[in-house]
Amino acid sequence: MNQAELILLLVKIWGGAGALVALAFLTFGIDRLDEDARGAYVFRLLIIPGVLLIWPLVLWRWYILADGKDEWAKRYQPKRNSHNIFALIMPVLIVGIIAAGWSVRQTWPADVAPVQLSEPGQ
Amino acid sequence: MSQEDKPFFVGYLDIPGPLRRFLLLACLAVVGIFVATGLLIGSTQDEPPASGFRFDYGRQTVTGVIELTPYPLLRVTQGNDLIKPGKTLMLSGQGKSGVDAQAMGLEGQLAEVSGIILQRGTIDMMQLAGGRRGLKMVEGDAPEMETEPLGRWKVAGEICDGKCLNGAMRPGRGLAHKACAALCLVGDVPPVFVSTQPIEGSDFMLITGPDGTTLPKAAYEHIGQFVSAEGDLERRGDLLVLKIDAETIEVIDG
Repeated sequence: MNQAELILLLVKIWGGAGALVALAFLTFGIDRLDEDARGAYVFRLLIIPGVLLIWPLVLWRWYILADGKDEWAKRYQPKRNSHNIFALIMPVLIVGIIAAGWSVRQTWPADVAPVQLSEPGQ
Repeated sequence: MSQEDKPFFVGYLDIPGPLRRFLLLACLAVVGIFVATGLLIGSTQDEPPASGFRFDYGRQTVTGVIELTPYPLLRVTQGNDLIKPGKTLMLSGQGKSGVDAQAMGLEGQLAEVSGIILQRGTIDMMQLAGGRRGLKMVEGDAPEMETEPLGRWKVAGEICDGKCLNGAMRPGRGLAHKACAALCLVGDVPPVFVSTQPIEGSDFMLITGPDGTTLPKAAYEHIGQFVSAEGDLERRGDLLVLKIDAETIEVIDG
């Protein structure tokens, strides 16, 4: 299996799991969590691509909300201190990724000359 | 400054005085960082050489002998002001596709091809017009075409697709172009090896698999990387053809 096939396989597994979660969540899960969603169906089609991508988060939030563990008031607390940490980590990561890319980049092997290994017919 | 005096930004209200200077500086800094980053990254890239579609030449029509390497070539026998007899043209279709299907069955026969030339230095290719306008058999006896064996060579350089390298895309090579080149090669666009140094006067050669096969799938892994490889080399007109052994491909360190 080459790299491209491996990436494709991982995408298929992730997307397949996402499809199962989307099927379950959008057919009965969402009705239990959001009363405004009850009786509304067309918008659920629009959510499918998002669920395919972030299905672990959907499962996690589904579990939290269904189990009554959601602390909704926390969502309204200012989180500026934690934002500062991520605001610092993200640019450092981006610069690090670019630097890593540069460091592993090959240089054109201009000094490697072609070599004739054998004459025609040998 | 107490908490109550602290200026607070609300998008639809006037900007508080103390925040104006900060916002102006922040905007300038963000734009400046983007410009500087773009220039910095751009400065590390090689300048693409002069290459591309030669629409300024207009559509070219020439006659020659079709050879399948298995990638189709035209050995020009009746040229024009631009494409002289003795020239060997690699052929491709529109977009990321080759013309293997159209050329199949025409091997060794006289054919007329018509299309747009792509040119990069000493190497060129013709993108055929669609349908029978692009490739059609013509009456007449096809002359025997010589193929000159040049022995076995170990070469260093890069595996590219011939169309993008010729200027259909720029730069048309390198790691950033790997996915595009792979798609072109999957579509049967003729692959080309760019050598670090000229071989028999040419920096470029068409690459095939051994014994008249297409480029081995194992070679696709190394598209866009700088590699060395061994293979039998031959000359067909003014074009070199390297029959590459995929087992000998090695990534060059550094």
